[in-house]
Amino acid sequence: MQHSALTQGIIICHRCAKTAGIQQDGETCPRCGTRLHRRKLHSVAYTWALLLASMIMLIPANILPIMTFKALGKGDPATIMQGVLQLVDHGLLGIALVVLTASIIIPLLKIIGLIILLLTVQLGWTTNMRQKMLMYHFVEWIGRWSMLDIFVVAILGAIVQLGSLASVTGNTGATAFAVSVILTMLAANCFDTRLIWDKHLEKIGYADHVGR
Amino acid sequence: MSNKEITSIQPDKFWVCPECDLLLNRCAIPDKHEAHCSRCGSTLISSKHHSIEWTLALAIAGLILFFPANLFPILTLKTLGLSQSETIFSSVKALYDSNLLMVAALVLMAAIIIPLMKILLMLYLSTCLLLHKPAPMLAWAMRSYQQLDSWGMLEIYMLGILVSIVKLIDVADVTPGVGLYSLTGLIIATLLSSTQLDPHRFWRRIEQLEKR
Repeated sequence: MQHSALTQGIIICHRCAKTAGIQQDGETCPRCGTRLHRRKLHSVAYTWALLLASMIMLIPANILPIMTFKALGKGDPATIMQGVLQLVDHGLLGIALVVLTASIIIPLLKIIGLIILLLTVQLGWTTNMRQKMLMYHFVEWIGRWSMLDIFVVAILGAIVQLGSLASVTGNTGATAFAVSVILTMLAANCFDTRLIWDKHLEKIGYADHVGR
Repeated sequence: MSNKEITSIQPDKFWVCPECDLLLNRCAIPDKHEAHCSRCGSTLISSKHHSIEWTLALAIAGLILFFPANLFPILTLKTLGLSQSETIFSSVKALYDSNLLMVAALVLMAAIIIPLMKILLMLYLSTCLLLHKPAPMLAWAMRSYQQLDSWGMLEIYMLGILVSIVKLIDVADVTPGVGLYSLTGLIIATLLSSTQLDPHRFWRRIEQLEKR
C-alpha cells in the first residue's frame, strides 16, 4: 500500500503527530495547540530564502577574521581558514581536521544537501528516496555542530586574558558565521520531507488528487 | 476533495508517518520496541520502558549538576605565575567585551538559558505526568520542550573545550576544574533524557489529563 495520508483525507500535527481529518486544515491541534497544515506552509520558498541568506552570510564569515590571538603584543586577526592552517603549522593535525570539518566542510555539505533536496521537489529527481531521507536527517542533525568554532572563540577569549602577555579577542567574522549556521538550521527545519514523497507518488501515478 | 468516503475515515485509527505521509494502521507497540515506517524507514514510535520515571530522575540530576557546572571554573590556565579561570558565563562575557553582542547572546542562549529551560520544563512535565495531576500549561510545556530541543548546545560547547585545551596545551598549563566534571555529568543527563523521552506516551498522557 502506497497511500499517502493526505489523499485519504488525513493530516497530522507537525508538533505532536496527532492525526486529524482534512476538514481541520488551518485549525489548531486539539491536543497541543499548534496550527494544523497539510504540509508545512511555503516550505520550498522559506527553505530557499533561508538557505540563500545563509550562503550569502558564509562569504563574510570566511573572509573576515573571527579571532585575534596576541602574544607579547604581536598577532594578527585570523580567519577560519588561517586558524586551521595555524593548527597544522603547530603539528596539531587531528584538531585541525576537527575544526576544518566543523567550520568549512559541514556548512558546505549542508548547503549542497539542502539544494539537492529542494531540487528533488522542484524538478522531480525522485530516485533513491531512502538515501534522500538519510541525507535530510544528516543535514538536520549535523547543523548544530558547526557552532564549534564560535564556542572555541568564546572559551579562548575568556581564558586567555593575561594582559600584555597573551590575549584572545573575537572579531566580526564570528557574527557572520554564527548567523550563517543559525540560518541553515532554520532552513533545514522549514523543509518538509513529505513534499519529496508527494512528487515521487505523482511520478509513479499514485496521487491522483493530492490537494495543495 | 468532495469524496464522501474521505470524511468517513476516522483519523484516530491510523498512524501517519510524519516524514513521508504514509498511512499505516494503528497497533499497540510493546515497551522497549520501536516502530519504523515501512516506506521511508524513519522511526515512528520508540516505546521506552519507564520513560516518565527516567526523565524525571534525569531532570533532577540535571538540575543539581547545572549549578556547579555554571558556578565553578571549567578550565584554569596557569603560565609564568599568572592564572585565569573560565566559566560558561565568562565566555559569554568575553564575546560581549569583544563587541560581539549577537554572538554573546547566542552563546548565552545555547549554553546556559536553553539547557536550564529544558531541564525545568522536563521536571514540571514528568512530575505532573507521574502523579497523574492535571496542571496548567502541560501541552505548552511539552511543545516548548520539543521546540527548544535542538537549540541547547552543551555537547558542542564541550567539544569546544576540548579543542581549546589542545590549542593551549603546549603554550601553558591548563587544568580542568570542578565545573568541567559537573558539565560532563550535566551533558550525560541531558543526552540520556532526550533518548529516554517517549514523546508519544507524553502526548497521550497530556491528552488524558487535559480531558479530565
